[in-house]
Amino acid sequence: MTPDRIRDAVRQALGKRLLDDRIVERSVGTNTRRAIYDLWLTVPPDALHDAVAELVGRFAPHFTVISGDDLGESISFIYHFTVGWGERFGEVSVNLRTTVEKANLRLPTLTDLIPGAQTSEREKHEFYGLEVLGIPDDRNLFLPEDSTIHPWRKDLEGETERFVHRAVEWEATDE
Amino acid sequence: MNNRSLHLQLGGDAACYTVPIGPVHPALKEPIRFTFELEGERVVGVDIKPGFAHRGIEYMALKRNLIQVLYLSERICGICSISHPIAFTQAVENAAGIEVPPRAQYIRTIIGELERIHSHLLWAGVGAHELGFDTLLHLTWNVREKAMDLLEQLSGNRVDYAIPIVGGVRRDIPEEKLGLAYEAIAYYRGLLDTMIDAYLRDASVARRTKGVGALTAEQAQSLAAAGPVARAAGLRKDVRQDMPYLAYADFPVRAITPEDYGLTPSGDVFDNIVVRLLEVAQSIEIIEFCLANLPKGELTSIPKVAALLAALKKASGEGIGRHEAPRGEVFHYIRLEEGKEEPSAWKVKAPTYSNLMSWVPKFLGAEIADIPIIAASIDPCMCCMDRVHIVTGDRETIWTQDQLLRLSREKTRRIVQ
Repeated sequence: MTPDRIRDAVRQALGKRLLDDRIVERSVGTNTRRAIYDLWLTVPPDALHDAVAELVGRFAPHFTVISGDDLGESISFIYHFTVGWGERFGEVSVNLRTTVEKANLRLPTLTDLIPGAQTSEREKHEFYGLEVLGIPDDRNLFLPEDSTIHPWRKDLEGETERFVHRAVEWEATDE
Repeated sequence: MNNRSLHLQLGGDAACYTVPIGPVHPALKEPIRFTFELEGERVVGVDIKPGFAHRGIEYMALKRNLIQVLYLSERICGICSISHPIAFTQAVENAAGIEVPPRAQYIRTIIGELERIHSHLLWAGVGAHELGFDTLLHLTWNVREKAMDLLEQLSGNRVDYAIPIVGGVRRDIPEEKLGLAYEAIAYYRGLLDTMIDAYLRDASVARRTKGVGALTAEQAQSLAAAGPVARAAGLRKDVRQDMPYLAYADFPVRAITPEDYGLTPSGDVFDNIVVRLLEVAQSIEIIEFCLANLPKGELTSIPKVAALLAALKKASGEGIGRHEAPRGEVFHYIRLEEGKEEPSAWKVKAPTYSNLMSWVPKFLGAEIADIPIIAASIDPCMCCMDRVHIVTGDRETIWTQDQLLRLSREKTRRIVQ
């Protein structure tokens, strides 16, 4: 698999909605240098589902995880996939970024395309307060079931501090 | 996550038992709660709740400099204590554009493969214990000690080897230690047949594990399974093969599936044993190759920690690091900003994170007595169950871990007799 093939397919499907694309070549090996590739794509939130549908339809990607990056007024979510596994040097890492304003923190679920995305979507839901539209199960996964804090939000730092503090105090008094 | 959210359902809504297992057991590194729905002895539904050991490591990292975060990454997991640092250092090196000297790449690989050997043997022993073959447990863990001893000789530690640093490694493998490494290789090579005989040619192991906890290739793909769990289901997927890095770019690693043992992959517990045992053999070959071809030269491109921190503070960019840990793919994403010592964003994905959802189809249709071995089959290090709390109408009984283990062992005994 080559990164430009994946980029071209997504570009064809999204047109102008593909905001940015970047191929990073990395060189590995100590005897013979070989290249491996990371593909970085940026799409608006409303094109996320279409972009992933294109990847799933044409390349059978392996879903890895969703990273979050709190930028202040907005949060970037990066959907990491790999395409072309099963062959030596055949895999390309595909990283699909979309940035959502904190005032309107919602993204569509991908679980209709990739059921395995549920773990990561629920994690983003609880840790960032992201509303995942259409997710089949939106209970907290890693945080306590009744917790309402969003620890990875830099603007809600005080809330998390208080939560951690309370937990430590509670542990200290627990006989 | 539960079976309903994955549209998987067995039987009707007539489940007459709800059986919570877990979450807390002091022996487990990762406590977890399963809530099983049972029709008689058969599992027809399951809900999985992890998170009881969530320590907020990614949150902590955003307040620490990158060398401190390296230490944090090493302490994410006690078994994969080089896998996370390998992925983390690669992510930082990619973000900051730092080269790693060839010798350092080989040393990282050698320690990484030793970790795979001891992790897989640990798992095999636990599996044997769950089934009631304690002699096999003791044999396996005795054999595992050779890898632990070698790790201690090479790094000074049995766990948390503190080998990788951004830009290289912290410790060399000196000439005089090579003999010990070759001796360990010869030891494991001589034992492989015994191990394969004990696990794969034993009729009672086969009867307890074949067809138990199966996972199809389609399920593994759609549920994003990783590592031996995915390979046992027939996906020839291994970061060392697909997107080589370190010494794996020089040594042709091939992902191992049960087909390499002449089986049609079904993803059951037996296939998981096959894949892990064959991977021990593969790791031996990789270590041997690395020792024979160990390049000469520097250990790190920026030897002084103060200079390294200064270089990292100037760096700006984002990078990913991937490593095939014993349990599957470890993935780290990091973003660095110029002028900041701490990362601006860090995401860690451990293999069990990917394999959580695969438990759901694996458990469905199983018997209660098979729960321990299926739970163990994805190698989450949480096969010792805390207790079972059975609610039948308004009658409650608490089952201890021992009772559950006894149930599993009684099943083996029935089969063997």
